[in-house]
Amino acid sequence: MASARGWQAEQRRSFMLGLVPALAVLTLVTIGPVLYLTISSLTPLNPTVPGSGWDFSAPWRNYATALGEERFLLSLWVQVKLSAVTVVGQIAIGLGLALLLDTNSRFMEAIRTGFLLPMVLPPIVVAVVWKIIFTPDISPMHRLLEWAGMPIHSLLSNGNTALWAVVVADTWEWFPFTMLMMLAALQMVPKEPLEAAAIDGANRRQTFWYVRLPYIQQTLAVTALFRLIDSIKAFPLIYVLTDGGPGRATEVTNYYAFVQTFNFSYWGYGSAVATLLIAGVLLLSWIILRFGGRGMAGADHA
Amino acid sequence: MAAKLNRRLMLAGSAGGLLTLPGKAPAQGGRKRLDGVTLNVSCWNYTYPKLLTEYIPEFEAATGAKVNYETPSFPIYNQRMDVELSTGSSAYDVVNVTFIYSGRWVGSGWVTPLEDFINDPTKTPAGWDASDFLSGATAAFKNKKGQLCAIPWIADVFMAGASRYDLIQKEGLTMPNTFAEVETMAKAIHKKGGIPAMVSENHYGWTYIPWLQGMGGNVFKAPPDDLTPTLDSPEAIAAADLFGKLIREYGPDGAVSMTYEQVLAMLKQARVNYSPNNQTFLAQMAQKEAKSAATCGFSMCPAGPAGRFPGVAAHGWGIPTGSKQKDAAWEFITWAMSKELSMRMFTEKKYTAVTRRSIIESPSFKDSQNLNGFDVAKIYLDSIEQAGRGYMAYRTVPVFPQIDREIDTAIQSIITQQKTAAEAMKTAQQNALTEIKRAGVKL
Repeated sequence: MASARGWQAEQRRSFMLGLVPALAVLTLVTIGPVLYLTISSLTPLNPTVPGSGWDFSAPWRNYATALGEERFLLSLWVQVKLSAVTVVGQIAIGLGLALLLDTNSRFMEAIRTGFLLPMVLPPIVVAVVWKIIFTPDISPMHRLLEWAGMPIHSLLSNGNTALWAVVVADTWEWFPFTMLMMLAALQMVPKEPLEAAAIDGANRRQTFWYVRLPYIQQTLAVTALFRLIDSIKAFPLIYVLTDGGPGRATEVTNYYAFVQTFNFSYWGYGSAVATLLIAGVLLLSWIILRFGGRGMAGADHA
Repeated sequence: MAAKLNRRLMLAGSAGGLLTLPGKAPAQGGRKRLDGVTLNVSCWNYTYPKLLTEYIPEFEAATGAKVNYETPSFPIYNQRMDVELSTGSSAYDVVNVTFIYSGRWVGSGWVTPLEDFINDPTKTPAGWDASDFLSGATAAFKNKKGQLCAIPWIADVFMAGASRYDLIQKEGLTMPNTFAEVETMAKAIHKKGGIPAMVSENHYGWTYIPWLQGMGGNVFKAPPDDLTPTLDSPEAIAAADLFGKLIREYGPDGAVSMTYEQVLAMLKQARVNYSPNNQTFLAQMAQKEAKSAATCGFSMCPAGPAGRFPGVAAHGWGIPTGSKQKDAAWEFITWAMSKELSMRMFTEKKYTAVTRRSIIESPSFKDSQNLNGFDVAKIYLDSIEQAGRGYMAYRTVPVFPQIDREIDTAIQSIITQQKTAAEAMKTAQQNALTEIKRAGVKL
């Protein structure tokens, strides 16, 4: 008995030793920078002010400043609008297309491949493509609309439409990802319940709602989570298309943090904003994963 | 033939200048002085840095050095260099000292004072003549001790140009001299010839200031000593209102977000008429391949009730204090800013935003700057002399980049009518105060 316990302890020790290199790398690559970011956020770190990186005299000052600053709060609201609309839009379009393409034929495979193009383009190329589309002077879209007798003004230069122009570009770039995830999930749905539904006389809407959706619910939640996190990281589109403007119409929180950190050298303050952003993302992830988990449990019982 | 001879002579001169420097004689046995040296050089993407790319092989051939040369976009360059310089990095040997960052980079001691190099005859050729650079262009690069920390490669001035001056004349008008005349002209020529009346690039922290100062306002109360922002003064609001209205009502669709590249392209293709803008861009309207070549017109930037305040921005080559190859870096700078190469860039590439007085006052330069009957050389020099009054002091204080951004945002909000001029400028004032206090500036 004693030797068995000794053997188990030895085994645990061996496992732990085996894990050490991976844990070390993980700490160095992932946790280390986040830790440094968090520590920096407690200082007024500014490279132009010697010693500011070690000044912990008012550790919560950056957080208090951020939470009391209208520009930061406005950037959060812009972020909420951007994330909500892009994620819902991408899920809806991705799911819709996946349902249309959920058949096995060479033609459909070719179409599927074509749809993937926006996602595989480098983000900066996507941004340049949409910059051209949204610049009236050189835009084929504007010329076409003008030709059709429906001219429109520059979408990026209008405070009311600039964010929605970014939403369109972001949705175009990332709907292939949601489509791909949905398609994979749909193709994993077993044939038996679908056949049973058909025998019971269920129409396409009912089959989707009562059979397919419960099966793909968790994939939907995970896809939404991925897209939500990615939408919070939206940067190249905003950088190229609007630079956060006009005014502050498209200044999302990470762009605000970027400006504060790299344009103004408020590294401590920028770190605090980034830390708040990370905390927000973690909270959202937790909520969505819990929701997704319940969905899965529901699907199991169905 | 004469041109060829001149070019040959200059080539020989510039190469000779390098090779006959006292103490810099080529090493024996075919080795060159900078064999094995790799210089990392960076500047933001602009006309001069792009042109310089074509000449760098000559420097490499003459000295044996290898030059890694990069020209990222303006914001990327500034962000990257701010980090490199602030951390004392040795990654770069020669860098551009950006005008709006000069107070910060020079003031913080991040770039090397050049006096020791300039005054050392073993490091600087006798005829190089540092005093030849326009004083208005070097002023921003002096530290508190008065030591020069960068050699200006550009003195860009804010003036005004029209791609279709013929349309202005048709209305019985000339190039506008005052803000009121600009408004009258814009009304008269808008959509004439199928093109909008005026445009401005989207860097409003630069293009709005002549209007602000012309109205009698300023960015700060008394820069560089009193940095209390004055963006909500009645003069600032009036200037923003007028400027915003001109761009909104007489500009092309999407004018609010047009970059200088877009503005330049539109002007050269005569797809927009009038633009208060930089000399470097406007002079390109007279290039042979430009559609505006035969119809363009030029003037000094318009004056307001308080006078004329043409912006002058200088950018210069400097050596980061972290560089481990300062002598080689200085050799690159003396080559890049030699009289010979400056003259060659003017004669061969038509680069006209030069900083050496001897070139600006040369007959060939004056002749070349007679564009469509307009004496642009005179506009250039007069504008630089105006800046000698000291009104550009607002731009080189270390906290200006933050305020620059606030002005951009405010003017965008006014043009797009998200806010009235008064609302936008009051918000800008509040934000500027916050930024200044955050930067640790005592008001």
